[in-house]
Amino acid sequence: MKSGGLALFSLGLDPLFLARAALAVPPTAGPPDRRILVCLFQRGAVDGLNMIVPHGDPLYYRERPRIAVPEHDVVDLDGHFGLHPRLAALQPLWNNGSLAAIHAIGSPDSTRSHFDAQDYMESGTPGAKATPDGWLNRYCQHDREHQNTPFRAVAFGPQLPRILAGSAPSLAIDDLQAFGLRAPQPAARDRLTRAFEELYAGSATGLLSTSSQEAFEAVQMLKQVNPGQYQPANGADYPRGRFGKAMMQIAQLIKADVGLQVAFADVTGWDTHVNQGSSEGQLAARLAEFGQALAAFARDLGDKLRDVVVLTMSEFGRTVRENGNSGTDHGHATAMLVLGGPVNGGKMLGKWPGLDPANRFEGRDVAVTTDFRDLFAEILARHLGATDLATIFPGFTPDPARFPGAIRA
Amino acid sequence: MKIWAVASLCGALGASPLVAASTQAPLLTPRDSALHALNRLAYGPRPGEVDRVAAAGVMQWIDRQLSPDKIDDAALTERERQFKILEYDAGELAGVYVDAQRERRERQQREASRDRDSVGARHAAPLPQRMDPSQDRGRRLAGELQELAVVRATLSERQLYEVMVDFWINHFNVFLAKGADRFLTPSYIEATIRPRALGRFADLLIATAQSPAMLFYLDNWESVAPGSTPPQAMRLRARPLFGRAPQFGRPPLFDPGRDPMRADSQRQRALERMPKGINENYARELLELHTLGVEGGYTQQDVIDVARIFTGWSMGRPQQGGDFEFHEWAHDYGEKVVMGVTFPAGHGRDEGMRLLKLLANHPATLHHVSRQLCQRFVNDDPPDGCVDDAVAAWKRTEGDIREVLRAIFTSPDFWAAPNVRAKIKTPLEFVVSAARALGADPDPTPRLAQVVARLGEPLYLHVAPDGYPEREAAWVNSGALLDRMNVAVALAAGRLPGVAVSIDAIVPATADPAQLIAAVNAQLLGGTMSENTKAVIGHQLSDISDPLQARALAIGLAIGGPEFQRQ
Repeated sequence: MKSGGLALFSLGLDPLFLARAALAVPPTAGPPDRRILVCLFQRGAVDGLNMIVPHGDPLYYRERPRIAVPEHDVVDLDGHFGLHPRLAALQPLWNNGSLAAIHAIGSPDSTRSHFDAQDYMESGTPGAKATPDGWLNRYCQHDREHQNTPFRAVAFGPQLPRILAGSAPSLAIDDLQAFGLRAPQPAARDRLTRAFEELYAGSATGLLSTSSQEAFEAVQMLKQVNPGQYQPANGADYPRGRFGKAMMQIAQLIKADVGLQVAFADVTGWDTHVNQGSSEGQLAARLAEFGQALAAFARDLGDKLRDVVVLTMSEFGRTVRENGNSGTDHGHATAMLVLGGPVNGGKMLGKWPGLDPANRFEGRDVAVTTDFRDLFAEILARHLGATDLATIFPGFTPDPARFPGAIRA
Repeated sequence: MKIWAVASLCGALGASPLVAASTQAPLLTPRDSALHALNRLAYGPRPGEVDRVAAAGVMQWIDRQLSPDKIDDAALTERERQFKILEYDAGELAGVYVDAQRERRERQQREASRDRDSVGARHAAPLPQRMDPSQDRGRRLAGELQELAVVRATLSERQLYEVMVDFWINHFNVFLAKGADRFLTPSYIEATIRPRALGRFADLLIATAQSPAMLFYLDNWESVAPGSTPPQAMRLRARPLFGRAPQFGRPPLFDPGRDPMRADSQRQRALERMPKGINENYARELLELHTLGVEGGYTQQDVIDVARIFTGWSMGRPQQGGDFEFHEWAHDYGEKVVMGVTFPAGHGRDEGMRLLKLLANHPATLHHVSRQLCQRFVNDDPPDGCVDDAVAAWKRTEGDIREVLRAIFTSPDFWAAPNVRAKIKTPLEFVVSAARALGADPDPTPRLAQVVARLGEPLYLHVAPDGYPEREAAWVNSGALLDRMNVAVALAAGRLPGVAVSIDAIVPATADPAQLIAAVNAQLLGGTMSENTKAVIGHQLSDISDPLQARALAIGLAIGGPEFQRQ
């Protein structure tokens, strides 16, 4: 049995397949003016105060004697806030107006549970757990204009995340190079692919039929993209690791014009309860990878960044005061970044409540002054042109007066 | 051969289910009804099983499955001995994880201090995260737990019982990766769910309400009456404070573990962490998911009063794998009203029991849970008829799950043609049914469970309290389908890790396409192979002369193809 399976894949092409391949429908590329949203989730609750440092606030230094980023290390942004030094790669994007940061953003729900808070941020319904789908998927359900490609919504990871769960088609791609049928030789792979395609085209019904069709279209389109051959442009240097690779593959799909409109990726390792460090250390290492990947992505896209908005999110922030282990515990509001051509960049957005204990949430955490849905809704409306915001965020009335102003008018 | 003798004996006695059960639907053949029952009540047929069940009479087989205690499962019992996790109790498992956490913390501190001490550390590359042995042990136990479920589903003779365990695990979902649930989940499965999977619903509901895994998962263990003072807080407050303003930059002169200032701040933190009021999390999910259903007619005020009733339903220290405890100090003794029923003031734990029994027998619960069962066994959108049959049996038997199931399996809807092959297999069902179809034997490594996880259903790791979904939309997406095809091809070629297949006994190797297609159709697809599939496979085989290659390709295409995704 062992040898049989291996040998199978050394088969050649038969002429019939070549004939069939010639009849294959050419992939439909998206319109060149397509606008794109890339959502990145910093799972584990990033310490917003050490990512976007309120270096102008003496309380910041008083509350964090061991982990505060010293003022001389901070990359100043506006005199009061500054980037963590290991995010310095993002400074040029701030300076050219394509990067904005928003502080004191978060959920109206008070949970400090990672998994509840992530769930709420992805379902878009804080406090309501039974919401079956994610807000990005609901956006896709209600804006059907872009459904002409299997690559409309893509999550980079082994599973479809909660944010993209739902009835609108979306791909989960762990690795572009491994998406599709796996076989040692291209000829065997093509043969298997076509065999399964024929099986499903002729025998499948319902969702099996539509999803398999999407799958084979995606596989077919990917062949032209040739994911193994990608060379980032403009000398962009993505950091090694899962996140850098995900960002590179998103850039690759954007440049391949396969119709990508919504992309998603995770970046983990932010739950810094112990020895999180200040200018250097654990958090600094995570931020360095994060910042380098974002900077490489922007550089790689070049002019195409004009149509792209990258939104970073994290389920909540961390305590203002450092804990007994030179780390921080679960807090409330955090900071998010918005990056891209359409961004109203070079400024801090939102309303800063300050670090005065009287203004903190439950006396200890940065208070939420911007409901995350106001930022998400603004980006959907002003960047992607979504009109049905009330359906995308049920139980919430998006009000343009509350939009933080992340997207240029 | 012994099995065959028994089977044919039963066959003589066995009546067709359809004579009694279905009047309007076109009759299924005995083979088709056997296949249908094996697809829904079991994780798919093993080689020859369709014929055996058909010969014995499908209703006899269903009857036996409804009495799992009478089914000999010695082979599985033997296999379960390989799973060390069954030998640990929650406290011992807790020890494993607490050790792992401590070692990780100590390692991080060591590395941090080394970073501080070493010259040039500022520009050094970040250290890779290494796995320490005890962390590894923790992960291995989680993997064992997942694999155990896959092995049981694959090998158990008590198939309906295993299907129902999976149903309840999802109905009363907990999340293995949430804190103490890492070590509370094994006993939740073994001691809470499994003994009651075919018992009375009320008993199962009460057992989950009192299970540390659920109390922790849905936060009820920290739900206290506002203003109540935990005994620990009184002890902590009674101690004098040592601390002065902290001074930095001076090396500690004594063991920092005994540092009185640090002890003060720890105490302060402990006090801050003390629960200060009710937590509605469990109360809401109890009503919405476990019992009444989201349309069950309750209000926000009902949720609050349910939460008040369960104040004090807590547990011993979670980090030590503590058991259920009722904390009188935390209970709200005031009057509550839930859905019009008054719970008078002055009651303790007993009012929670009263409420659970009330919920277990509420008409909305009967309908909600019966509908979910029909969704699992009949159709994603089940017809009212089978739901009504299930509700009637529930009323008649006061929630005897076995009788509710029997009502579903004898309902005309269960056998009606539109509901046959109407459901998509979940990843667990797909992987296990493929393994069973090929007579595969999973090894005790977690690798087959990892295949299930890769296909989107990491067991016990559904984060939201609603459990893994039963609807096909949740499972069918393009990436997942391609992954299923890859799994099928690998399995057919004997290359899927974690499982040994014995295909020779099922589909003899031959390069003759007609013979291969006939064997694969009969043995793996129960005769459901479409003409298109036959043609595609036949065409694929036309230029392959190696019998082993031909067989691997035919089986891979059949298991990865559309027919096998349905049940």
